[in-house]
Amino acid sequence: MLKIENLHAEIDGKEILKGLSLSVNAGEVHAIMGPNGAGKSTLGYVLGGRPGYEVTQGSVTFDGQDLLELEPHERAAAGLFLGFQYPVEIPGVSNVQFLREALNAQRAGRDEKPLSGAEFLKVARAQADGLGLSQDMLKRPVNVGFSGGEKKRNEMVQMGIVDPKLAILDETDSGLDIDALRVVGDGINRIMRQSTKAVLLITHYQRLLDYVRPDFVHVLSDGRITRTGGPELAHELEREGYAGAIA
Amino acid sequence: MVLDLPSSRAEAWRWADLGGLAAAAALAPVARADHSALFLDLPGARLLFVDGVLDAGQSDLGAVEIADLAGSEHELGRRTGGRGWRLSLPRDAAADPVQVVHVAGGGDNHLPAEIVLADDAVGQVVETYAGAGWSNRLTRIRLGRSARLQRSVRLLQEAGFASLREEAEVGAGASLVSVFLGAGTAGTRIDGQVTVGEGGYAEFGGALLTAGEQRQECAVRVRHAEPNGQSHQLWRAVATDTSAASLAAAVEVARHAQKTDGEQSLRGLLLKRTATVNLKPELEIFADDVKCAHGATVGELDARALFYMASRGIPRARAEALMTRAFVADALDRIGSEPVREAFAADADAWLARAL
Repeated sequence: MLKIENLHAEIDGKEILKGLSLSVNAGEVHAIMGPNGAGKSTLGYVLGGRPGYEVTQGSVTFDGQDLLELEPHERAAAGLFLGFQYPVEIPGVSNVQFLREALNAQRAGRDEKPLSGAEFLKVARAQADGLGLSQDMLKRPVNVGFSGGEKKRNEMVQMGIVDPKLAILDETDSGLDIDALRVVGDGINRIMRQSTKAVLLITHYQRLLDYVRPDFVHVLSDGRITRTGGPELAHELEREGYAGAIA
Repeated sequence: MVLDLPSSRAEAWRWADLGGLAAAAALAPVARADHSALFLDLPGARLLFVDGVLDAGQSDLGAVEIADLAGSEHELGRRTGGRGWRLSLPRDAAADPVQVVHVAGGGDNHLPAEIVLADDAVGQVVETYAGAGWSNRLTRIRLGRSARLQRSVRLLQEAGFASLREEAEVGAGASLVSVFLGAGTAGTRIDGQVTVGEGGYAEFGGALLTAGEQRQECAVRVRHAEPNGQSHQLWRAVATDTSAASLAAAVEVARHAQKTDGEQSLRGLLLKRTATVNLKPELEIFADDVKCAHGATVGELDARALFYMASRGIPRARAEALMTRAFVADALDRIGSEPVREAFAADADAWLARAL
């Protein structure tokens, strides 16, 4: 589904990704772990197409398409979802309006007909209920006044509504208490644990992996993947720290 | 035609597009077929002025009368003396909305108006400017004790210039809410002078949306002459291309106008870095027990929010439109009547669809 080969990327002339290669197949959950500054968030942004992140070498194909050729909104329509570490507040634009615009724009990109207001609300309510986000929060401006945990749950509601093929979740576990972590973990499993979908979980800590069990764990260090293993690698990292695992 | 206009060296005119006025007055006549679409689906009087002259056949005056009205001392207002329209509501009257549509067909036209509400009367006036040419207006407003007027004005001219001079006296406990939307492609200038009486309430604000080489501006002065008054000047300016939107908003509090509560919120949004927004909040306070909040900021759309929206599948132009619409919504939300508010929002949307 996703094939990254020898990816080099820089921000403001500073190289952050230095030859990263990774393959993700449908039905798999991959966790990317690593110390601060290793390039984890950069990887998410480069795949999402954030302006300012320049790819200098390498290739990324997504479902056979050259991902790097696509505009950010086209990547979304192609089935890529980027869950933000710090979801952005958008004053004056309601969650409902934002999500309906997003879903219908993606549908238009795939030549599907738009959902009516009523059809959309049904989908949105089901997803919000599944993640314990109140109807009132659906009506409020996007992420404005939401707590850290609510913002992350809102990310999962968005993911459920747009129903992507590949989710790249950047520290979705940060800022969550134990209960919220379980709700979000259950959400990821419910929405994404399917044979036709895949997940790239970017995380610092092992704890989210108790709820969303990865098939592969990779260590990202200094812009490259330096180790790959099964779920047990996450426990080893938790026990021994990155310094030990990388050395 | 020789125009005797003020100089931009005068402070109130420093951003004025005086050349635009002269050019508008010299515009060749244009044809315009159907004016009926400019009226909203509201009950009440409908007045159609074509080049400043009432088209009686397409108007329904209702409580409005046509009368000889004087100009004012203002540089532009003094040109307007002559036949104009007057809405005069007696004590306790509550009238249906009055709609006035001004269509210009080239050249210059000048028209005075008077809105006089006696004590406790309630009125609503909606005005629309369209066409091309120079439309120059003077509107005098006098609100008696506890009278209430909601006034909504949309400037949608395609070419030329619309200049509005507003002179309002808000009586004790009375309320004036004036909301302006500049969403056409012509130059505009709003000159406002509002005097607030004891316990009176005045709002004077709106949104100026400019594109191309357009210039739109507003210079308003709200004067609190008596104690316990409240005023809000909430303006949003959006500029793209090489256009300029300028707002100079002043609050003046007289020495004995204690307990005045004045608020100014002037915000500008640049959709391109080649555009200009000028903001000048001004406070002149002579009383010592007042609350006058003021804020003036100019910025661009939040790049993080644009990427966030793009990452959810929303194309950039649509994301910019949604965020810009949200930016001006505060100002248009001040319109109390839902159909009027929706019509103004639709005009703002049409502007966004063109500009982005």
